[in-house]
This record gives sequence, structure tokens and C-alpha cells, in this order.
Amino acid sequence: MKLDLHRKLKDLLDTATYIKDIKGEAFLNISLLIEKISEVYENFYQHDLNFIENFIIQVESEIKKIMDEAERTLTPYEIVKIVRHPQRFTLQDILENVYDSYMELGGEGEINIDPAIVCAKAIIIRKVRNDLYFHQVMVIGHEKGHGEEFRQGGSAKPWGNEKALRFMQMAETEGIPIHFYIFTPGAYPIEDYPGSAQQIARNLYYMTKLKVPTVALISEGGSGGAEAIGLTDMRLMFEKGYYSVISPEGAAAIEAKIRDGRPPRELVEKCAKALKLTAKDNLEFGLIDRIVPEPPLGARKRDYEFFKKLKLELIKATDEIVLQTRSLKFLRKYTLSKQSTEDFKFYINWDLDEDEIEILIENRWEKYKKMSQWAVCEPKNVIKSFFNFSRSWGLKFKNELKYRILKPSHKTFKKFLDELTTESSLLFKPVSDPVKTVYNLIVGKKIKSKIPTPILIEEETSPYRSPLALEDKTITCPQAEKYGCPDLWVPDLYGEYCGVCPNCGYHFLLEYKWYLNNIFDKNSIKPFNDYIASGNPLEFEGYAEKLKEARKKTNLRSALLTFEAKIGGISLVAVMLIGDFRQGTVGVAEGEKFIRAIEFAKITRRPFLALVHTTGGIRIHEGTLGLIQMPRCTIAVRDYVDAGGLYIVVYDNNSFAGPVASFLGCAPYQFALKSTRLGFAGPRVIRETIGQEIPPDYHSAENALKRGHIQGIWDRRELRKKLFTALLTMGGKNLYYR
Amino acid sequence: MKERVLIANRGEIALRVIEACKELGIDYVAVYTKEDEESLHVKLAEKKYRISDYKDMNDLLAVADEAKCTAIHPGYGFLSEDYRFARRVVKRERPLIFIGPSWEAIRDLGNKLFLKKLAKELNIPVIPGTTQPIFNEIEAELKAEELYETLNFQGNYNYSLMVKAAAGGGGMGIAEVRNLDELRPVFRKIRAYAKRFFGDEGVIIEAKIPYIQHVEVQILGSKHNEYVHFGTRNCTIQSLSKQKRIEIAPGFLYDRGEYGFDIKKIENEIINYSLKLAKYFKYDNVGTWEWLITPEGKYFLMEVNTRIQVENEVSAKISYVNNKQINLIKEQIRVAFGEKLTYSQQDIKFKGTSIELRLVAEDTKRGFIPLSGTITKFFWTPKPWLSVRTHVPQDKFYNIPTQFDPNLALAIIYGDSFESAKKRALEFLEDVKIEGTTSNGERLITNIEFLKEKINWLYKFIPA
Repeated sequence: MKLDLHRKLKDLLDTATYIKDIKGEAFLNISLLIEKISEVYENFYQHDLNFIENFIIQVESEIKKIMDEAERTLTPYEIVKIVRHPQRFTLQDILENVYDSYMELGGEGEINIDPAIVCAKAIIIRKVRNDLYFHQVMVIGHEKGHGEEFRQGGSAKPWGNEKALRFMQMAETEGIPIHFYIFTPGAYPIEDYPGSAQQIARNLYYMTKLKVPTVALISEGGSGGAEAIGLTDMRLMFEKGYYSVISPEGAAAIEAKIRDGRPPRELVEKCAKALKLTAKDNLEFGLIDRIVPEPPLGARKRDYEFFKKLKLELIKATDEIVLQTRSLKFLRKYTLSKQSTEDFKFYINWDLDEDEIEILIENRWEKYKKMSQWAVCEPKNVIKSFFNFSRSWGLKFKNELKYRILKPSHKTFKKFLDELTTESSLLFKPVSDPVKTVYNLIVGKKIKSKIPTPILIEEETSPYRSPLALEDKTITCPQAEKYGCPDLWVPDLYGEYCGVCPNCGYHFLLEYKWYLNNIFDKNSIKPFNDYIASGNPLEFEGYAEKLKEARKKTNLRSALLTFEAKIGGISLVAVMLIGDFRQGTVGVAEGEKFIRAIEFAKITRRPFLALVHTTGGIRIHEGTLGLIQMPRCTIAVRDYVDAGGLYIVVYDNNSFAGPVASFLGCAPYQFALKSTRLGFAGPRVIRETIGQEIPPDYHSAENALKRGHIQGIWDRRELRKKLFTALLTMGGKNLYYR
Repeated sequence: MKERVLIANRGEIALRVIEACKELGIDYVAVYTKEDEESLHVKLAEKKYRISDYKDMNDLLAVADEAKCTAIHPGYGFLSEDYRFARRVVKRERPLIFIGPSWEAIRDLGNKLFLKKLAKELNIPVIPGTTQPIFNEIEAELKAEELYETLNFQGNYNYSLMVKAAAGGGGMGIAEVRNLDELRPVFRKIRAYAKRFFGDEGVIIEAKIPYIQHVEVQILGSKHNEYVHFGTRNCTIQSLSKQKRIEIAPGFLYDRGEYGFDIKKIENEIINYSLKLAKYFKYDNVGTWEWLITPEGKYFLMEVNTRIQVENEVSAKISYVNNKQINLIKEQIRVAFGEKLTYSQQDIKFKGTSIELRLVAEDTKRGFIPLSGTITKFFWTPKPWLSVRTHVPQDKFYNIPTQFDPNLALAIIYGDSFESAKKRALEFLEDVKIEGTTSNGERLITNIEFLKEKINWLYKFIPA
């Protein structure tokens, strides 16, 4: 009896300390209360039983009052603190309390390829009246492991994400649903084999067409690390969780332009608020599907009631995904309404057949396509949108007819004729010839492609003079000491040498217009969708002015340029990330433009080229709305590539973070120019995370090639020639010119 | 303002330019490098600057600005055929006059493939072959077969083919293919070589002409659309790496019928074609159009040299304007400053024969390897028909710099007829004495014996 009270007192002390940790010492005399409790707790055996019982009742009511007040005045930064608090539940608690039985895969504890990621096969039991039903699931998630150094606080290394991918594939083979738990402050930013960005991109690319129902639960969703296992059919979020493009400290450091040291606390709190990273905000934005309620000030390790509810939510969420692939809509609604109570009324089998899998993947694409579309800033005009709509449908219809119906039949017939003529030419010639003539008369002439044979002519680019080339002066190559390069005359360097030192091949920085004018055929560039503008969906303070400035400087409305162009007569759709506009960061407008461009390429069967002038990652001022462009665009890429498209990415200058870890990094053909610096995080972030200096060539194109991220390093002087060769040699027979 | 010329070269040509400037009354500035401090052109110049390298554009232009020069004479070799230098000289904030053709002409005429394409368009005969670089084997084989058929159709049987690197030159990256079966391996070899040495995989295929004479036409154009020629030269005698050793003007031997074709007709035709191309380009300086002549009387344009040549003086020696010998370097400088020619083609008369012998320190028996060392004695007897151009001092020892070609002297011999010129040339070769030691103490060898032997081959068709 007395021991119970002792334990209760200890719990109260823990709770009080917890409140103090979250809300600060000055909150409602909490420090005084802690002193009071700890005094009683230390001298526990000197007090009599009655006093302690009364004390406990009194303190409990007081704490409840403080708790309610604390919950009422909870700020976003306090939520971040809750998530990181050592008393918060971890994946281990969920495995033990939510699932009825589990088996960890890939080692428990320290002996593991990456202890930050835990994969487990688990069984979850559904009780329908008196019957028990067993569901097998795969559980993959980050383990924060409070106090365990080796877990890296849930930062998954590239090979950890690779392990996750492996077990996703395993679950796919076995046909069991996957539950993902996201407890990560971000991915561990190292460029080993494989690189961080490279592996996240691979994960995302694979998850787009995962053939099993997937549910993600987000407690701490930090940037790319969260997306690595976050592209799912159903995304739930804990009430006191956060999901953000960057940690508030990181955002504050960038805002205040601090290179070393800690940003001021007020700024961090302001950024946490401005980033809109809470569950409520994310639900409002439509980036998550539901919120899993938590007790006041967040669930902790011993909140068993909460785990019980979580189990119910999990089963319900998985049911919902499965049901969406099956029944009619009203039946589905009825079924779901019947399950709202805690007892299940019936059992739903989580196995999917072929057709259902197809619907599942289609649903996933539809779901992500709709996300963040409300935040796209484009002028609304009924006539124009109607015109656009009808035009796109007309285009779709025409191309479907041309490539799906006429061309294959034409090809099959031609193949048949060829077989006929070659294999038994002598015997069948009198028969096949008239047939051929008739066929050519009816079909052949109509379809006969009007495509001229692609030839690369050097003089066909437009004469363009870089504004850098106007000065009459010489500059010294930065590698002159090493290679003994002569000084370069500026008009020569930025004119004929394409900004490359002819002696050592050092690439100087060039403006984006150079690429537009020197890669593509003369007068072939036709921009489209350039009215879509970057907006300020989060109403981030000071961001609108920065956008205005960028717009004025570059005369562009977003950092992504989408256009149709030709190389040596081959027509293609291209996008270009421009470094002059907010360091080429990706936000809602850029993502939307990318998706529309790649869909356009898919409809017209053209190759798709992504040029990266510079990209600095996801734009932090657009918060999670920017982050969601990673999975969105990746799904679009997968859709295009699976439809037989040719997707080529060419990197230059600085290419970092989000885009490289998703829709650029997942491309089957990626190339880099010699000057490229490619990676996940910059040198400063790496130094702070791993606590070591990194070599200067850590992000070089050579290293990226060595670890297999890119397929080749190109010289800028030969870019046009190489691209032309790539267009001719790569890509399947679905392209229009094949 | 008085014109001032920066002489961006060394050796014999620097001396010639100094001489010409003096005669024209123009200021001049010489440059020299560490190795050339003792050279004659440095001693003769009043104003001189030391630079790091004759090929260093930055140094040269800095000197030009410092010395307030108005023009640059590139001479031959070094930067003379670098269109980037020519462009940079004229396109500056303080533009200078480039004594040579326009940079566009240097670029386009210097590009052999471009020249070939253009010549085909203007119906000027060029060596049969491809005009575009080839990158893959199958295409190469098709092109080679096509070429073979064309050659056979034209009646040229048993020609073999040459596979060349498009970016190559000076005898590098060339291989012969006698049989079409050998084409693929040879093509692959040359392509790999080209990629390694020139950074460009392009390869061209040409017919190989078995017996040739190398004849060139000396052209002079002015900025006022005047074009004249100074006859032809024959430069068939060359070293292994296609460096000319003996030149003779005129290009054909008129009075003896060893040719199987009408000499006058062929000479007129190649001169007319050369002038046609010069007019097309508005070529406004001295230049040389090089042609190959076959024993059957066929001729092909090979390349255009957009600079003053080493052997310019043999043409000058036999060309008379109003009974006065011409000086091509003087004409070149005059034309570059925008002056008119003041004479026409009718005023130019040709008289006599002139032979130029190049005395070079090289081992002709061992693949013409250049030698270096010290010259202890350099002597010849002066004659009225002989002029020796040299930057080697006769009164003291001279170290041959290892950085440059080991050219020692040019001997220009004049005679009324070919026979007398040949006799005098042999007389000079017997007379001249060059003694010295190589750096490892052996006797210095020169190519005098080679010249003596080859003088009998003048005006003869030799295997290419």
C-alpha cells in the first residue's frame, strides 16, 4: 500500500518536472510545486499515511489545473520540445504496447546496420465479438532511443534507409500492410555509399508504386528524413507531433544568417510559429489525413490508454485504405461508420488482389496530386481555364489516338509484313506485294511520320553574348598554381570557351541564360505555364518582400522555368531550376509547374530534361507545403518513366538537399557537369552533425560518380553534343521519334 | 601619331621586320625571353622588353600598351595563326592593328574541314574525302566505300586511303589504309588516339595521292579590294614530319618537258582558284595557298597559310615591280595600315630562279631529331647572288636554345635560270662551314648533306 503511494508520488514528480521542462520554470509556480513534492518524496517514510494520501490528492488536482492551463497556452515551440522530451514514447513503446507480438528484424540494440531505423514483423489482433483475427504487418520506423547514443536520435543513415527499403520489398512479396513511424529530426547527412540524398530518392521512387497498403504516423517529421519512409496511402499525425521542412533552430540560423553558434531563442520561437509545423496546421493544409488525439501535454511512456486508442486508429486507417480499393462508395461509408466504436463489428481482410492493387496505386497518385494545389497562385480566369482544359483534353485525345491506337497497329502490321517478306520472300512475294501497296495506300501515307531525321548542326544555336563577357580584362584560373594555366581573357572565357579554362577544365560560374541560348536549337524555346507564381501560403513574415525582390531581379515568377525546346530537331519538354531566384529552391509553384510539365511530356511522348542551374533545396518559407513537393513530384516522375518516357537530369553548380533527394535524384539517367557540387546537406551542417571536418572534394561530381549517384561527368563545352547523343541513344520505343 | 609596331617574334623574322620597319620609317619595339638575351634581334632593337614567353598574349599586350604601340606583327609560328590572338588584338578597349588577315579569315581558313566544305561549294578541287568528322565505325566504312567507288569512277585506281584525326595536324594521328578490310581496326586506333591527344573523337577519311609535287601560290590583298599574286613556289622537298627544307620559285620548270600536262594552263588555274577564294573572303594581307599536283595534271587545294611564310623571300627575289625587287614584309605592313598597293598584276614581272635552303641542326639519318649544342664556327664566303639570313652571330659562340626549332640560317640563292641557280646552290653548300659540339660533347650534325643530296630532286614528283 505504501509502496503504491511512493510510486504515485514519483509519477507526480515526473509529471511536474515534465511540465517544467516544457513550459519553463516561471510557469504558474511550477518550481515551487516541484520543491514541495520532492521534499515530501525524499522524507517519505517520516510522514504518516494520511498526510501523504491527502497530499497526493491535493497535488493531483493542482497538477491537473496547471496541465489544463499549460495545454491551453501551448505554443508551437513547446510542441517541438514535447516531441524531443526524453519522457515521450518511442517506437519501442509502440511495438510493445500496440502490437500483440513482434519480432525485430536486423538486430536489436547496437548490433545493427543502423540502429536508428527499426524494422519488425508484428501481429495486431482484431477482436470481433468473440472471435480473434490476426493481422500481420510490417513495422518500419525511426527509434529515437532516449539516452542511447548509438541511435543518433533517430537520424537514419543512408544504409538505414536502404534497410527500410529492403523490408518494404519483403512486405510487398508477402503482401502485408506496412506501418511507418516517423520519429526523426532529419536524415544523417553523409555522402558515403550510398549518399543520403541518393538513398532517399530511391526510397521515394520505390514507395510510389508499393503494392501494399501503407500507413504513416508522424511524431517528429523532420524534412527529407521523414519523407524517406513517408510516402504512404494514409498519413496520420500525433496531436503533439510536428512535421516540418526544417527544425526551427535551423530556420532561425538561416534567417539570421548565422554561420556558427546558436541563434537567439526569440527568433527560434518565432520561426517555430511561422513554419506552421503543428498537426492542426498540417491537417488544415491537407497534408495529413487525421490527427491521433493525445492526452494533455502529449503522451508519455506509460499512457496505456493512449496506446489502446492508437491501436484502434491504426486498424481503422488500414481498413479504410483497403476498403477504398474495393466496395462502392456508399457501402464504404456505411462500413466505416459502423466501426467508429471501440469494438469491431466485422473483420476486413487486408490481402489485395491484382485489380485492387491497381486501384490502390491510382488512389495514391490522385491523393498526392491534389495535395497543396490550393496554394498554387495562378490568375483565375474562367475562359482561359476552360480554354486550357479543352486544349489539354484535345491534346490528350489526339496523342492517345496517334500513339496508342494507330501507331501500335501500324507497327504490328509492319512487323507482320516484314516477317512475311523476309522469311518466305520468294514464295509469298506475289501475295505480299499487293497487300503492302494497298496498306501503304490506305494507312501508310497518313501515318508516315513527318519527323525529319535528327541532325546536330553546330551553327544552329542562337548567337548569344554573355553579359559577363563584356569586360576587357584578364582573370586568373583558380587552379593556375596547380596546373600552370595562363591568365584568361574574359571575352574569350565567357564566349568561346563556355566559361571553362581551356588548360585545366575548371568551370566558372555562368548565368542561366547561357544554357538556354547555347544548348537548344535557334528560336525553339517556348515557355509555358510561366504565369504560375510563387506565393506566400504560410504568410511567413518578411518572405513576401524577399519574393518581390527576387521577381524584380530576375523577371521570373518562380525558380522553375518550364519550356518546350529542340535539340538537333528532337523536340523535348524541359525544366530548369534557376539559381538567381531564391537560390533555386523548390516551393509549391515549382512543384506544380514540374508536375504539369512532366505530364505534358507524357501525353506528347516527348523526352523530359531537367537542368539544374543551382538548387538550394526546399524553400523553408513555404514549410511543409514545400516539403510535400518531394513525394508529389517523385510520383509524377515514376508515372512518366513507367509510361516509357525518357527523363534526363543534368546538374550544375550547387545541387543540394530536397530536390536531389527526390524528383531529381530518382531519375534513371543523371549527369553532372564538372563544376557540380552534389549532395544532401552543406559542409557546415555535416560538420555540426558528425563533428568532423570534411574534405573539400566531398561533394564533387567525381565523388558522386564514384558512389553511383550520377551516370557520367560532362564538360560544359560539349553539353549540347552530349545531350543530343543521349536523346538518340537512351529511352524506349514509346518516344515519339522512335 | 607615328605608327609603332610590336614585333612579337624572334630570330630571322624579327630581324626582317626590323629591317622593313626601318625602311618604311616606322618605330618598332622588340620582345625577348630569357633564352634570347644574346640574340641579334635584341641587340639591334633600341626599345625592347623582356617577356615570359613569345606565346603569352597577356605579356605581349601589356608590353604593347606600355610602349604605346599601334600595331602587332606576329611573324610566323607562335601566335601568328591563332585567331584568338588576332581577335583579342583588335577587340580591346584600346584596339591595335594586327599585321595579318582578319581574325575571321584566320579562323575559317585555318579550319581544314571548313575550308574543304567551302572549296567544294566554290567548285575548287580538294583532296577527295569526307567533309564532316566521323564518329562511328559503320559510318566510316560506308563513307570509305563510297569514296573508293568515286575514286574508281574518276579513273584513279589503286589509291589507298588515309584515316586522319580531324583535330590533328603536322603528321600526327594519320594512318594509311591499303585495304578496306583494315579500315575498322585502323579507324578505332586513330579515334582513340584523337581522343587522347586532341580531346576530340572526330576522324576524317581522305584519298592518298601516291605521287605529288607541293606547289604554293603567294597572294597579297589590300583593304581596298585589290588582289595580286607573286607567282608560285615549289616546296616538295620536306623532312619526315612535313617540314619544308628546300623551296624554289617559280613553282614549275617551264623550259623542259618533264611534265605530262600543260604547265602554263595548270599554273594559271591554281592561281585563279586561289584568287577566287581570296576574293570570297576579302582577304586583305599576305597568304599562301598550298596545292598538291599529281603527275597526271590533277591538282587539289590542301590548305591556306594565313601568315607571312619563311620562304617568302624566294618569291620576292624573282618578282619585280617597275624593275624593282619586291619586299613582301614591307608590303604586308603597308597593307595592314590601310595603304593602297599602287601597282596591279600587270606591273609584276618574274625573272630568274631563286632557291632557299634551310640550314637546321638536325640528324637527318635518325628521323630528323632536332639537336642542340654550341656553334663554334659558322662561316661562308659572301657572293653577290647569295644572301644568308641568320640570327646566329659569326664572331662568337652561340648556344642553340632548346625551347625553339633549331633553325640556324636561311640561304637564298638567285640565278638567271634553274641550272645556274642549282649550280650556285651546290657551290654554297660546299663552301659553308658549320662546326660545333652537342651538349654531350659530340660533333654537331647539320642537314647540309641531306640538302646536297635532295637538290637533284627539285621539280620531280616524289612519293607522298
